[in-house]
Amino acid sequence: MLKRYPTLRYILTRAGWYLVTFMVAVTINFYLPRLGTSNPVDIIMAKVGAGLDTEAAKEKEEAYLKEFGLVELDKSGEIIRNESGKPVRTPTWKQFRNYVLMVMKGDLGTSFLNYPKKVGDMIKEAVPWTLAIQIPTIVLGWIIGNVLGALAAYRRGVFDKIFMPFSLFISAVPYFAVGMILVYLFAIVWNIFPAVGGYAGGLIPTFSLSFFSSVIYHYVLPFFSVFLILAGGQAIGMRSMCIYELGTDYIKYAKWLGIKENKILFYMFRNAMLPQLTGLALSLGLMVGGALITEMIFSYPGLGMAVLTAIQGNDYPLIQGCTLLITVCVLVANFTVDIMIGFLDPRVRAAYGGK
Amino acid sequence: MPTIESNNIQSTTSEQKSPQTKNSVPIFEVKNLHLHYLTRFGEKIHAVSDVSFSMDQGEVLGIAGESGCGKSTLVNGCMGLFIPPLKPTSGDVLVSGESLMNREPDEVRRNVLGRKVAMIPQGAFNSLNPTRKIKDLAADMIESHENTKDKKEIYSRLRERFRIIGMDESILNSYPIQITAGMRQRSVIAISTLLNPKMVIADEPTSALDVTTQKSVIKMIFELLDKGVFSTMIFITHELPLLRHVAGRIAVMYAGEFVELGTTDQVIFDPRHPYTKALMGSMLSAEPGQRQRKPIAIEGAPPNLAKPIEGCRFADRCPVVKPECKKNKQVMRIVADRQVRCQYAS
Amino acid sequence: MKILINLLKTPAFVVGIGLFVLTLLMAYVFPVFYPVDTITRVGMPYMGPSAQHWLGTNHLGIDMVSLLVKGLRASLYVGLLAGIIATIVGTLLGIYAGYTGGLQDDIINLITNLFIVIPQMVLLILISSSVKEGRSLALIAFIIGATGWTWSARAVRAQSSSLKSRDHISLAKINGTGTFGIVVKHILPYILSYVFMVFIMQTASGILSEAAISMIGLGPYDSVSLGTILNEAMRNEALTDGAWWAFIPAAILVTITAFSLYVLNNSMEGVFNPRLRK
Repeated sequence: MLKRYPTLRYILTRAGWYLVTFMVAVTINFYLPRLGTSNPVDIIMAKVGAGLDTEAAKEKEEAYLKEFGLVELDKSGEIIRNESGKPVRTPTWKQFRNYVLMVMKGDLGTSFLNYPKKVGDMIKEAVPWTLAIQIPTIVLGWIIGNVLGALAAYRRGVFDKIFMPFSLFISAVPYFAVGMILVYLFAIVWNIFPAVGGYAGGLIPTFSLSFFSSVIYHYVLPFFSVFLILAGGQAIGMRSMCIYELGTDYIKYAKWLGIKENKILFYMFRNAMLPQLTGLALSLGLMVGGALITEMIFSYPGLGMAVLTAIQGNDYPLIQGCTLLITVCVLVANFTVDIMIGFLDPRVRAAYGGK
Repeated sequence: MPTIESNNIQSTTSEQKSPQTKNSVPIFEVKNLHLHYLTRFGEKIHAVSDVSFSMDQGEVLGIAGESGCGKSTLVNGCMGLFIPPLKPTSGDVLVSGESLMNREPDEVRRNVLGRKVAMIPQGAFNSLNPTRKIKDLAADMIESHENTKDKKEIYSRLRERFRIIGMDESILNSYPIQITAGMRQRSVIAISTLLNPKMVIADEPTSALDVTTQKSVIKMIFELLDKGVFSTMIFITHELPLLRHVAGRIAVMYAGEFVELGTTDQVIFDPRHPYTKALMGSMLSAEPGQRQRKPIAIEGAPPNLAKPIEGCRFADRCPVVKPECKKNKQVMRIVADRQVRCQYAS
Repeated sequence: MKILINLLKTPAFVVGIGLFVLTLLMAYVFPVFYPVDTITRVGMPYMGPSAQHWLGTNHLGIDMVSLLVKGLRASLYVGLLAGIIATIVGTLLGIYAGYTGGLQDDIINLITNLFIVIPQMVLLILISSSVKEGRSLALIAFIIGATGWTWSARAVRAQSSSLKSRDHISLAKINGTGTFGIVVKHILPYILSYVFMVFIMQTASGILSEAAISMIGLGPYDSVSLGTILNEAMRNEALTDGAWWAFIPAAILVTITAFSLYVLNNSMEGVFNPRLRK
């Protein structure tokens, strides 16, 4: 039955693959941080345990161990102890199982740094800011970059000769470098835009015009930091692709048929767009990383800042929660692009069942 | 407005192989055409030199020659569309007396391409836009020449046309990747002739196809000729035996020039130019009595067309070359009722 | 060699190698003439550029130029080492997958795709944050190389896959040459120039990754690198204080180094792959 709907087959195959990737990501997310020997509870104890006597310290430690699922509990919730009275530690594989169950329920644990605040809550506050930067920059950067590249390829001439080296340079500059230079020039030297934050320091987030204008004011520099590099990279790639398409047999044939120039441009763009989409999917991970670093430079209150503060404070659950969410975002974005390619390129569908 | 006129289909089988009684204006005429390619280093490669011929309605002219002799370049120029780096050096191409040179590209696009002259390109199965359904490509073509926007009407015309030429309707709704190479080739032929052009140029339409598919492609071309979809054709190939069945006249091309131009029987059975003779001698033939004859390869390679060439271009490889050949510029002479570019042809 | 002459004729190549040599000079030759001292406090924190200290001091009062030289050296080291590791891993996997095909190809493809989709940054963060002690430059390079090989694996796989169907390979097989022999004698020579170009890209990527991971604080523990300089600048609010000498030069150095390698790579493409020449 499925063979009759190659598009459906394609979507399901890709969805299945991404599910597998997600499971691998969750596993990696759990096991990698545990490569080292440091015990997170020890780190907390080092902070809060100073000055407590041994009995109180032991109580506190056990409370934390219980909280973070590192010890075995019996049915009534009491810690199981071995012969010498020490708590029995949960084996790693059990921790993993508990972790997976928690993630399924949407619980990403409790933050060390901001104990007892839940990681999930902290991420919920940060995600909208990150999405606000990621989605527009990626979408607009891709569209505008590709349009400019197509223009440069078709027009050639002066536009191409100036535009090309400029884009080449921009696309090779790392995200943080552009961010830093923009901050320095526009925020410090010329003082046009703010250097730090998602909105002005004293304001409280409300649905007011002054708040929104402050948000937009603070949005400009981070947006352009990422957008410029993205657009530049896309433009260069698209230009090459369009030049290639313009030399193909089918474009020549279309010209011989006497097909209108606009239509031919449409053919060129439509076909050159497809490998650009594939390229987009491949570099999504990189772009997301770049945007996060940009957030850090601007102290923009998104996932990037959350990760930064988490790292600085050794807040493992927060680090893990952020990385898991980032990975999920990249997976979702990749899946979306894959679906788009499936709809736009008949050759891809053909590989999944032909007619 | 040219439409696909199914009621005007005539049988013109009798007009196939020999030229008709001459009309006052030949339907297609090439006069002393010179074409060159401009490389990025500013070098001029003179790919076509001094080609002249004319064709009357109903004629099929075959152009034969080895790879790289300029056949494709010649017909590219015959369309009036000069895609860089191809440029016309001098000469003229006339369709029904109208010159194609020095006209606005968009005007040529609207009036000539697809309407008066149509091209069936080499490697036709690569010539279809992979992301466009066959019917959409055909519709694009029709829309570019007529002012209709009514897709339904266009699609029904397409279905009718495909029905007439015996192609399955399902091909129309397919993407190129979903159909076989042979189907793609025939789709290209169908699309190129949609607007009933007077003149069709087929550039190696059967190369790189298996023999069965070749047969169906030739069959289709003749059906279209029969039904009057088009009447005049230039057929390019490097396979001479094919031309015997298809063409009324044959032009043999070498290093950018016509070296012999005559009727099929003349060129194949009584060649006069040393190159044509060598070409016939190098053919494998299934004719009785030919099996004992060993095919003779022609040694050497064609000359470099970037440098000006003195004398005969075939001189380096000619089996009967004389010392004067390398100095004297060769022109077309009438020998034994056909044109030969060799001063020693008899 | 003819290739070298052709390369030198390409302006892009000259620019690329020129810039890269410049960075090498700054890292290794310049210190001969300049006292590099990253320990002594020579001035006030965030002192601006002056005659004795061309790029001022950092938040501890240490000479910035010295820090930059040391940082450049470290970044180059990490980039190169990471590039070597990534190229070796990627090339081996790529050749194996491309040439062998079949199930092995599919499995390696699966793994490669996994590593492509899961962002390298995420993996770097997770691994680095767990190895708290002993984060040496070599370890960082190793981690970057071990997570960044996907690009070279894909590229090499595509090349070996297309080479596999070439006639000279079939001839070798008929002659009885074993898989290893074929790979060494008949595939490697063809892709060597390609692998070299891949190596340059991986090195550039390694330099950038090191800067990124060090900038967020997960860099080498005891060494100075361009990334750690940026991290310190961020942490001590050099950005907002306007102490541009604390971060702009470092950012520019990273950019120029990576950019020079990109340009180098682009220029070589034109010479090594004649089909690209238009």
